[in-house]
Amino acid sequence: MINQMQKKVLMLALRAGELMMKSGAESYRVEDTIARICRACRIPNVEVFATPTGIFLSLDEGSEESDTHTFIKRIKGSSIDLTRISRINHFSREFTSTDLSVDAGIVILEDIAAGKPYPLPVRLLGAGLVASFFALIFQGSYPDFFCAFLAGASSYLLSVFLDKLETNLFIRGFCCCAAATIVALAMFAAGLGSNLNSVIIGSIMIFLPGVALTNAVRDTLAGDMISGTSKGIEAVIIAVSIASGVGVTIKLWTLAGGVF
Amino acid sequence: MIWAFFFSFCSTIGFSILFHVPKKLLPAAGLVGGLGWLTYTYFIDAGSGSILACFAGSCVVAVVSDLFSRIFKDAATIFIIPGILPLVPGAGMYYTMLAILKGNVDETASIGTETLLMAGSIAVALLVVASVIKLLVMIGRNLSANQRP
Repeated sequence: MINQMQKKVLMLALRAGELMMKSGAESYRVEDTIARICRACRIPNVEVFATPTGIFLSLDEGSEESDTHTFIKRIKGSSIDLTRISRINHFSREFTSTDLSVDAGIVILEDIAAGKPYPLPVRLLGAGLVASFFALIFQGSYPDFFCAFLAGASSYLLSVFLDKLETNLFIRGFCCCAAATIVALAMFAAGLGSNLNSVIIGSIMIFLPGVALTNAVRDTLAGDMISGTSKGIEAVIIAVSIASGVGVTIKLWTLAGGVF
Repeated sequence: MIWAFFFSFCSTIGFSILFHVPKKLLPAAGLVGGLGWLTYTYFIDAGSGSILACFAGSCVVAVVSDLFSRIFKDAATIFIIPGILPLVPGAGMYYTMLAILKGNVDETASIGTETLLMAGSIAVALLVVASVIKLLVMIGRNLSANQRP
């Protein structure tokens, strides 16, 4: 028999782990947070195994008549949200150092989970900023700045839309970069902009697998080989999808008689 | 040079908005990205190859991120993820793609290898800095533990 208290602690710890993993935290940070929350609730024997696609948690109260309980949480989908990671970090520190009740903890966690990313117009502005300033870094001129802003913002809008449809990584990267390239080529054909390369590079920067790359390294460094490899593969797939999206579009454009 | 810093500062803030960095940390995250790119351009101007420059830039990003994570008492990831992105070789990937389209195998191999190595150098830089910092913290802890009676 599992007692209700233990079950609540489990739910709390797993929810925190799930949220962190979805928001793009490294595996060792997730494992550490879950183990700390459980220990703070006086459950001495905790083993956690976290991978990007699932968390396994098993615990034992350690007394004579207690059983070992194991729980599995499957994780699906992810969206990078660093505010969430930061808030859960603070939460776990607070939870372990003060005598916050488990119920209050669950309320706080749900509040963190309900936190929304920046509103869409602000995110579009962000995507535009990334694309346009990268166009300038790669020797673009001021007309290129505006072209890249438009290409970046419109392709980001498409990626938000594709996220809602829950398409897979490859299709998303491919479609968004193809869209960015089409916008850039169309504006170039209309006589706007002078350096096409800089506009396209700027807009594909938004979709680069930087997060997957850094987390792959940090996971591998921490000894989480499975998480490290799976993040590494994710980075490779995203990179291939971006390259093929741009490549196929340019090829079709030249075949259709467009100037490149 | 100042322009390079300003451009990468702004684009890193753009990334930070996409990744939902907490509002009060936005300028700090931008600064990390700007400093990383500044180091990169400095090394390129000094005549080093792009791989070494990328390595140096990533080292700076990792060190400054760790510093900021201690100052602001927050996870280093929050600064590293947006800060590293300007250094990820998107341009190299694009030119590799163009070379493939042109059917130029030599160019594909040379640019592609350079791109791969740049991505690898970012990874290695993060790894090295993280290990060194871990080591330093451990040594510091041991020293302060020994000093106590």
